[in-house]
Amino acid sequence: MKYRVRHLTEYEYDYKVSTCYNRAHLLPRETLTQSVNTPRVVIHPTPTTGNRRIDYFGNRVYHFSIQEPHKSLSIQVTTEINIRQQRNNFGEQLGYGNTCAQVQDLLNNTGNNVESLYAREFLLNSPMIMASESLREFASGCFAPNKPFLSAVMDLTHKIFKEFEFDPGVTTVATPLEEVLAHKRGVCQDFAHLAIGCMRSLGYPTRYISGYLETLPPPGQPRIIGADASHAWFSVYSPGEGWFEFDPTNDSVPTHQHIVTAWGRDYSDVSPLRGVIFGGGMTQSLNVSVDVERFEDDLVNDNTVV
Amino acid sequence: MSTSKQAQSQKGSMSSIGYQSIAGVYDEALAKSGEVRPHWSYVLSSLQNLTLENLTQRQIKTQRILRDDGATYKPFSDQERTWELDTVPFVLDNDTWKVIEAGILQRTELLNLLLKDIYGRQELIHQRVIPPEAVFAHPGFLRPCFGIAPPSEHALLLHAVDMVRTPDNQIRIIGDSTQSPSGAGYALENRTVMTRVFPSLFRESQVHRLAVFFQSLRHKLNSLSPDGDLPNIVVLTPGSRSESYFEHAYLANYLGYSLVQGRDLTVRNGLVWMKSLSGLSRVDVILRRVDDFFCDPAELKSDSYLGVPGLLEVIRSGKVVVANPLGSGILESPVFLKYLPAISQALTGQDLQLPNVATWWAHDPLDREYIFDNLSKLIIKPVFKKSGQHNVLGSELSPSELDQLRQNIQQRPLKYVAQEFISPSYTPCWQQQKFVSRPTVLRSFVVAGENAYNVMPGGLTRIGKMVDDQLITNQRSALSKDTWILSPEPEQRINLWSDKHQHISIADDRQQNLPSRVVENMFWLGRYAVRAEYALRLLRTVFLQLNNTHELSEESYKTILLAVTQVTETFPGFTAIDSVLFKNPEAELISIIIDADRAGSVVSRLNEMLNCAEEVKVLLSADTQRVINDIRDNVNMLETTIRTDFASAPEEALDPLVTSLLALSGLVHESMIRGYGWRFIEIGRNLERSYQTMSLIRSLLSPVLGEYDEDNTLETVLLTLETLVTYRRRYRARTDILNGLELAVLDDTNPRSLNSLLQGLKEQVQELPLRQEGSLLSKERRITLELLSRIQLAQPELLCALEKGDKSRKALAKLMSESQELLNELSITLSDIYFDHTETHQQVMAASWEDEL
Repeated sequence: MKYRVRHLTEYEYDYKVSTCYNRAHLLPRETLTQSVNTPRVVIHPTPTTGNRRIDYFGNRVYHFSIQEPHKSLSIQVTTEINIRQQRNNFGEQLGYGNTCAQVQDLLNNTGNNVESLYAREFLLNSPMIMASESLREFASGCFAPNKPFLSAVMDLTHKIFKEFEFDPGVTTVATPLEEVLAHKRGVCQDFAHLAIGCMRSLGYPTRYISGYLETLPPPGQPRIIGADASHAWFSVYSPGEGWFEFDPTNDSVPTHQHIVTAWGRDYSDVSPLRGVIFGGGMTQSLNVSVDVERFEDDLVNDNTVV
Repeated sequence: MSTSKQAQSQKGSMSSIGYQSIAGVYDEALAKSGEVRPHWSYVLSSLQNLTLENLTQRQIKTQRILRDDGATYKPFSDQERTWELDTVPFVLDNDTWKVIEAGILQRTELLNLLLKDIYGRQELIHQRVIPPEAVFAHPGFLRPCFGIAPPSEHALLLHAVDMVRTPDNQIRIIGDSTQSPSGAGYALENRTVMTRVFPSLFRESQVHRLAVFFQSLRHKLNSLSPDGDLPNIVVLTPGSRSESYFEHAYLANYLGYSLVQGRDLTVRNGLVWMKSLSGLSRVDVILRRVDDFFCDPAELKSDSYLGVPGLLEVIRSGKVVVANPLGSGILESPVFLKYLPAISQALTGQDLQLPNVATWWAHDPLDREYIFDNLSKLIIKPVFKKSGQHNVLGSELSPSELDQLRQNIQQRPLKYVAQEFISPSYTPCWQQQKFVSRPTVLRSFVVAGENAYNVMPGGLTRIGKMVDDQLITNQRSALSKDTWILSPEPEQRINLWSDKHQHISIADDRQQNLPSRVVENMFWLGRYAVRAEYALRLLRTVFLQLNNTHELSEESYKTILLAVTQVTETFPGFTAIDSVLFKNPEAELISIIIDADRAGSVVSRLNEMLNCAEEVKVLLSADTQRVINDIRDNVNMLETTIRTDFASAPEEALDPLVTSLLALSGLVHESMIRGYGWRFIEIGRNLERSYQTMSLIRSLLSPVLGEYDEDNTLETVLLTLETLVTYRRRYRARTDILNGLELAVLDDTNPRSLNSLLQGLKEQVQELPLRQEGSLLSKERRITLELLSRIQLAQPELLCALEKGDKSRKALAKLMSESQELLNELSITLSDIYFDHTETHQQVMAASWEDEL
């Protein structure tokens, strides 16, 4: 499946910003099942310095600074992505593989499995996610020792989907997990964090994924450009089997409609844009528009790995 | 004479000075038998030959020098203590030192490899030498720093090691400092003081010298410069409130580097620059004293104002080198003490020559069990110290505190380690006029040289204040000692500056290259000093006038008190309508002097001045530092003295401060190098003097009063300006406003006349570097010229001309207030051109989660 993703971020400031230094996680990464062309980045005003690199988690990161005074800043990233057929829907095979007890056992006795050893990083508390007794309690019903691990995770995904209401008005990026749990409301990022917190509280390595989701218009209606949004979900690790993605916002197993941008321990590792500005006044307005467009021609092939 | 007899006599003499060792510990100076250890005998017998009086004298001298040098330590941000140095050195023989030195070198090399492994290949995790949590769970593991290539084979450039000697004479390492190890500067200061207080004892003891360590540091930092031959190296300090600010300033001065704060630096075009008077100058190497997490708000702690936004990207590109590298803080995790023997085997195939103290990590199930079984015997340390967190001794906790600790460990086992408690060795100290025995910890310093690491042949010894102090830290008010490593033969003196990399005179260069912040503080140091001085002079005069033998009329009495409010700008004060204060002015006058929270009060002005002085500490001479200390002492005593003296001659309480301020002014004038720092102090002083003089003239000479009353007000002005004597000599006759104005405004033989002050100001401003070339006069020069012309063209007769019914000399008041406006404009203009006006930065998005770390 081939996509063209256009992600436009615009800031407006009350007063002039004299300089800014930024780190952007807006360039989709390569994964085992996703190849990406070199993303085109257009920034206004033109950055004085700009540098691409691969970060600690293997994500693409773009650093840039602007020294020209400006009252608005726009960053547009356009990327063409090919999701390979191998990204099969494992949703039908949830009943196979390691049981919950086996996962824990293999994590504690990693043998020669370096991947398992490194997965333990995603068991630890991270800046925005602290394991807790209440998170453990919330999720523990889904995880019986003899239950196949992936089906247990699917149950948790389903439980979050069922018990929580999608509500963009109640949370911010800084809303603590305990509050989300108490109010049972939030957005995709909160649900991903919540699931990760539950999993880690139970002792399962889990990471945060940021990306995009293709949304299809209702039958017979045209697609609205720019109406899509960035999305977030999570991925769990089963020793010897690898990482598996789940989307609690949509109660689904991500397949060809989920495009991965970056992953990390939580949002703070992969926030789309962070940095500092000099000036700008007390308030700033942010406008984000995302457009995920499917196309059929052969612009992207599997060899355009960059 | 037989050896045993010699020992006997020494044992006897030791008891004659009352020094006794403590049972069950290793005594550094006395063997078990009570004999003095050979390497201590010269020092101890020399000290013992001094009289009690002499020893006390030298101890007082020691503290006085430290105080004069401004050697302070701020264990908590609101508290400042003079650094304390015990007059008995800590002595080590050469053989013991060789063992320690070799062990430390091995350790530094090992930590260097460990650091490179953590931020590089992570072989130790792959090979299961350390569990991944040892790295990944530590907040000091900075993921944005992963993969950055070290600037040389030495990633770790500076390292400090704390160690103790066990009761059975084994050296044990108890901790490492790897971020920005502090103490080397204090060790140097200790040495400097000891060589002054005990010159012959030091000379004859053949002690290893410290300069070689700092020379090595200079060589290394020079060699790391990405930009060729004459690197610009700066010391980055968190600022004058940080606990070891003295050391930052001291080292910067000693090494010849600029002392900067985060906001003195900026990232432009992919390079780091220092904002200085002459514009931006590129920075090549940063010796940092800011913790790594705070160094770059763009990528690390986003609400930090101590760092430089964008720094990390410049480091990645190799265009600036930071020592120690960002991310090196993780090596301070005590978890590594548990694994270090295995790490050493894995990376080098060797055992540790100097073992660590035994360490257990609660994350390991077996260790956790051991910790719980032995909690009351162990030291419990947080794996990552947040501010306010300390090590605790199980034995000092109550049963309920132990329970609480057990719960904390159970809940967050990753965050705690426990260590065996080692009873440290004891060393003789001179306290409260006797020799006593105190527990001792030694901190050694290592620096990367051009090829290999070098250990400072000495170090910072700290001792417990009490005999049973078990944890020795500066927070627990430990004392320090100079560390003497005895050399088998006398050593050559090394001059730090005999340095092949150094071709130009750095002192000259630095004068041009002052950070803008420093220049700004110089300017305000000058202004606040004069503001305080004029307030003091006026109040002194007012006290004299109020208690004068001849009664003041109500009108002149009120005019004088109103002037106090106006000149000190402590409104409303006496200017309040129908002020009741006139009946009983004492309380208001005292408040204007001592109320530190009241803007305009004498004490608040002095405090502002002291703050500025602290910011520019590096540029102040030792004499100046002494005067600053006196001013600080006088400020602290002012409340007491003014209340005691108020009943009679209250003006005398103010005299010492006026004298100190004059001394400061004299020093600035006589002994400061004529660089830009000095120029800005002088500009600040002249500008403020002119301003204050105008205030005095406006509030005291423009009101029209009765003839006799005007004598009083003129006398007040002339007394405050210290020109009354001249006036009387010159004019003999009665006081007269016209003559007074001539002397105070126009007379250019009077250095305090406005004419003289403004001439000085004009000349000083002309010496400043011009930002723009061109034939037009720059704004600041135009203002000074206009000011001077207005004053020089003034005609006293016209200024004093009155029409019938006039209550004030309007022309005089107008000239003064317009001139004051111009001075304000000059101040703003100078500030716009020469000082830094970068707004403080803010995050693109608030990141409150970082506090959870």
